[in-house]
Amino acid sequence: MSCEIKEKERAGIINPIFTCQPAGAQYASIGIKDCLAVVHGGQGCVMFVRLLFAQHFKDNFDIASSSVHEDGAVFGAVHRVEEAVDVVLMRYPHVKVIPIITTCSTEVIGDDVDGVIRKLNQGLLKEKYADREVYLIPVHTPSFKGSQVTGYDVALEAFVQTLAKKDKPNGKLNLITGWVNPGDVTALKHLLSEMQVEATVLFEIESFDSPLMPDPDHSAVSHGSTTVEELIDTANALGTIALNKYEGGKAAHYLEKEFDIPTIIGPTPIGIRNTDTFLQNLKKMTGKPIPQSLVRERGIAIDALTDLVHMFFADKRVAIYGHPDLVIGLAEFCLDLEMKPVLLLLGDDNVTYQEDPRLKAFQENVDFEMQVICNSDLWELEDRIKNQGLELDLILGHSKGRFIAIDNNIPMVRVGFPTYDRAGLYRHPVVGYAGAIWLAEEMANTLFTDMEYKKNKEWILNVW
Amino acid sequence: MPYHKFKCSECIPEREKHAVTKGPGEDLTSCLPLGYLNTIPGTISERGCAYCGAKHVIGAPMKDVIHMSHGPVGCTYDTWQTKRYISDNDNFQLKYTYATDVKEKHIIFGAEKMLKQNIIEAFQAFPYIKRMSLYQTCATALIGDDIGAVAQEVMEEMPDVDIFVCNSPGFAGPSQSGGHHKINLAWLDQKVGTFEPEITSKYVINYVGDYNIQGDTEVMVDYFKRMGIQVLSCFTGNGSYDSLRGMHRGHLNVLECARSSEYICNELRVRYGIPRLDIEGFGFKPLSESLMKVAMFFGLEKEAQAIIDEEIARWKPELDWYAKRLQGKKVCLWPGGSKLWHWANVIHEEMGVEVVSVYTKFGHQGDMEKGIARCQEGALAIDDPNELEGIEAMKTLKPDIIFTGVRPGEVAKKLRVQYLNAHAYHNGPYKGFEGWVRFARDIYNALYSPIHQLSGLDISKDEIPTEVGFLTRQMISDVNINKEETTPIEERPYTGDYDCVTKLRGKTYPRSSEPLSDAV
Repeated sequence: MSCEIKEKERAGIINPIFTCQPAGAQYASIGIKDCLAVVHGGQGCVMFVRLLFAQHFKDNFDIASSSVHEDGAVFGAVHRVEEAVDVVLMRYPHVKVIPIITTCSTEVIGDDVDGVIRKLNQGLLKEKYADREVYLIPVHTPSFKGSQVTGYDVALEAFVQTLAKKDKPNGKLNLITGWVNPGDVTALKHLLSEMQVEATVLFEIESFDSPLMPDPDHSAVSHGSTTVEELIDTANALGTIALNKYEGGKAAHYLEKEFDIPTIIGPTPIGIRNTDTFLQNLKKMTGKPIPQSLVRERGIAIDALTDLVHMFFADKRVAIYGHPDLVIGLAEFCLDLEMKPVLLLLGDDNVTYQEDPRLKAFQENVDFEMQVICNSDLWELEDRIKNQGLELDLILGHSKGRFIAIDNNIPMVRVGFPTYDRAGLYRHPVVGYAGAIWLAEEMANTLFTDMEYKKNKEWILNVW
Repeated sequence: MPYHKFKCSECIPEREKHAVTKGPGEDLTSCLPLGYLNTIPGTISERGCAYCGAKHVIGAPMKDVIHMSHGPVGCTYDTWQTKRYISDNDNFQLKYTYATDVKEKHIIFGAEKMLKQNIIEAFQAFPYIKRMSLYQTCATALIGDDIGAVAQEVMEEMPDVDIFVCNSPGFAGPSQSGGHHKINLAWLDQKVGTFEPEITSKYVINYVGDYNIQGDTEVMVDYFKRMGIQVLSCFTGNGSYDSLRGMHRGHLNVLECARSSEYICNELRVRYGIPRLDIEGFGFKPLSESLMKVAMFFGLEKEAQAIIDEEIARWKPELDWYAKRLQGKKVCLWPGGSKLWHWANVIHEEMGVEVVSVYTKFGHQGDMEKGIARCQEGALAIDDPNELEGIEAMKTLKPDIIFTGVRPGEVAKKLRVQYLNAHAYHNGPYKGFEGWVRFARDIYNALYSPIHQLSGLDISKDEIPTEVGFLTRQMISDVNINKEETTPIEERPYTGDYDCVTKLRGKTYPRSSEPLSDAV
């Protein structure tokens, strides 16, 4: 009985879990107010990422491209960055922040993005936009390194590196959420508000869920609302809590090193236990007590879970894939729910996963056969099910793996990014006590539906 | 001056000649917008890249093929599960995608060795698949990997597999259209003529330029088969790799999307003498004429007429029901390429909607020529539109509905403009007689959605009708329709099935009665 951590043995990818770095940087960029990123590469690198965001959120997000064509690939394309920045600034008068996000093609041809930003700062911005506050941020995200996860991490680090400036202490906490949904931010802000903790949230993305108004001129554009001033002020926080080690950890470390800001990395507050820890960390950092209201809220969650765990969840075999912090958090929660997360799939070649203390804790303590596959693809899951006799009761993962569930008749709860084949999931949290309730009940209801479709003891629910 | 100047683009003089308004009596040649030029950086164009044009549009609908992209993972991920090209092969081509996963060390030291390992592993994972398409991407094109040589080496070592190589990196052209061109010619050069298909009819066609979006190809192939025609290959919707290697044995290339695949038809004519016949699967009249054109080539007019009569008798009353309720509704026809001209006039003629604007993301001037020639006077034609221009056009033209892609559809939603998916369809197929009714039905459902009506109410100041508990679509659409006078009894809303394609797959067809020995 043990937990084995290993790498995928094949060289290539059959059905990827992640897309590449620039997508992560683009996701981070849409969290900033008045920000319009320019992706320096071919148009596909933007068009498809915008499509992916639109699929997940059922809303549109604006990101620009330098539209590198053949001549640029041969002779260099930095002039297309200059042109893109000018065109964006001319046509979008509200834009203040323009991250320049590189891709594989422009990194291979060696375009000097930092150099062109210096040139623009000294030239175009001074001459043509002297009365405008504009920040250009180089974000190096060659697609042949890491994944969307590191892209998010790298972009956030670039944002604070470029923007954060030491000033008077602001008495606020930096809360770096990692790659989450609007519903998660709502849940996290609720916890902060109950604790009476003031925080700069990176990123405020509740406004991704924007209304369709009777007067079209008042319809909101889906975009994040963390301001550039807040990013500048991250250097003056009383502390930083980065919930996801791999999505925002770099930025938190930078602020710690550069500005001596006390920092706690993790845990992803998925499940009761990790939410408890998050609240303890808030308390530790701010000195604020945990109020009765949260004791009560926790009680409601525990009450809901008690109805489900030993009756329905015990020993259910689960496979989980997606973002590393999400997968680990979900696996920990599953263990608390008496389930057996038998297979975890982490989808990029980050070698530090194997050293993650949370994975080490699995290795030391789980009492069933568990596998963690690093640098994984979705074929690692499907092949085990189809050809190696892996038996599962439930899959937790994003929509790109939907056919594994469909073709093998395994119930699946959509969680993570993207979840375009289910309605409105971005609105629901997986973090906090509210997230614990949502996750557990979603898993239970999915299992119940499956019991009914398969006529597998479906009558048991008669008297539940 | 026919050119249309967008306020939002006044600061970009290069955009001036990319939009025109079709004025009364104006000469087409004087007002044709520029097209297929490099994209202006930072405009937020809707274009994709040449890699996606090759792999995602044309290559990947092939149904019995491992589609492997040689590059970092993103290109593969992005072009996977973002289109609806179904197949009768359990959607193998939708479910599986392959990336060689090029990393930094490969960029530095080359990735040919790992490419070979990738190819072998993929065939091992799917031992029943023996065909592969291999796509170059930006990164591997720039480092100069010779993927053709690697493919050749594998084919020599594994004689039962066949590999097609497509060199169309993302930067290779102003838009996805560059990729269409490249893959057309690559397929012709490498694969056509390398497989001898079984000929079972006197009448043999290749059906080219349809990608089986929600079953379009299968609907059209059904008509051809009912006429006694053998459809040798489909390029590429629901197409099989080996059948497409046998395209040289077709007697006629029947072409739908001339934008994406006229190249292969033109070359098949030059090299093998196979004539090209452009047809249209959309709209009762164009479709009827198209079926008749194909029939006339082979002398099958009687068979074609029987199908046309049967289909029109079955579906016309349903099209008419919708047409009556769509009269005068304003449409922006904003597709990628070919629907610009395929739909430009027929949606007006057969459904009564007014086309107030046409655009193309990646079309060439020739596509605009056809689209503008066919669309109504006063329509605004835009080449390579960008985000702000689209918004400005919707605000000034005030369309009731736009036909476009998923993401621009979300932009329209916020402006209270309904949207239908012109690329992947809402509830297609839209080709065929029944499909055309489904299209009309989808437009109707969008326009007369009670929720859409509610979306315009401002509860803070408008008068809210508190005595109304619900509205049906017909309560909204039929306000001005005098049923007794204008609705003949047989007119009715759509009566087909939710899935009208799967049942075609088990059908048997009469074989050609004439002896095959007469076949060419």
